[in-house]
Amino acid sequence: MNIQFKKGVLEICVLSVLAHKDCYGYELVNEISKRIDISEGTIYPLLHRLKDDGYVTTYLQESAGGPPRKYYRLTESGRKEEHEQKEEWMRFAASVNALLDGKNDAAE
Amino acid sequence: MLQNEQEYIRILKHRLEGTLPKDELDDIISDYSEHFSIGKANGRTDEELWRSLGSPEDVAREIRVMHLVKKAEDVRSCKNIFHAVIATLGLGLFNLVFVLVPFIMFLLLLFVIFLLGTVITLAGLVGVVFSLLQILGLSTFSVWLSPVAGVFLSIGMISTGLLIVIGNYYLARFCYHGCIRYLKWNISVITGTESEA
Repeated sequence: MNIQFKKGVLEICVLSVLAHKDCYGYELVNEISKRIDISEGTIYPLLHRLKDDGYVTTYLQESAGGPPRKYYRLTESGRKEEHEQKEEWMRFAASVNALLDGKNDAAE
Repeated sequence: MLQNEQEYIRILKHRLEGTLPKDELDDIISDYSEHFSIGKANGRTDEELWRSLGSPEDVAREIRVMHLVKKAEDVRSCKNIFHAVIATLGLGLFNLVFVLVPFIMFLLLLFVIFLLGTVITLAGLVGVVFSLLQILGLSTFSVWLSPVAGVFLSIGMISTGLLIVIGNYYLARFCYHGCIRYLKWNISVITGTESEA
């Protein structure tokens, strides 16, 4: 898939995963790269940007048999942002799908 | 070159030192160290982790751009916006056309308007001086048909020129804001390299 598409949807993907549960970085990266083929290294800068924008916060939590891990959590404004971006994406995807279907119909 | 955690972290640090403040750099570095250590605890090798993260040079470039654009947004200055624009250019050939060209065009436009306002103001000042000299009988050199009308016309020119310069200042602020918004959109869409995995 085109890289420009992927980069554009990465933010909503990160917000969406965090809306379900708090994640440590590696976990979050795994969740996303399982489904989308992207340089995993670009997710961390994005997390920092979201933190700067006040959409996520971090906290440290002990892990079983290892050093404490840094967890990312959505803030209240992060939840609102997630909601808005999700709605926007759903509408956009529905429009694109409708267009693509229409085009196929016309070609037949 | 050995593709292991130490090397990855070393390159990141090296590329980001001097741009990022110490605490932010440490924060970023800790994310990548944690990524490597958890990955290795899950049985992945240094090379695998390196490849799926993407090259440290690309990651560092992306972090630098984000930081510089944020800085230009927080503290408005010519220096900061220049740094942000130049860093964005490094992200790809695309930006040479879609960032540099419009940026230079806006700079030129702002400069031309500033020049225009300044020239009109100066011409007005010269007009006032000559008209007054003529009224006082100190000069026979006539700028206008009537020296009294000349004074008023010149004052009108000074006001117009100053208004243009002031308007240009607000236009520049507006352009600055627009530039930041465009750069932010640009980095959220353009940056990032194809995964090699």
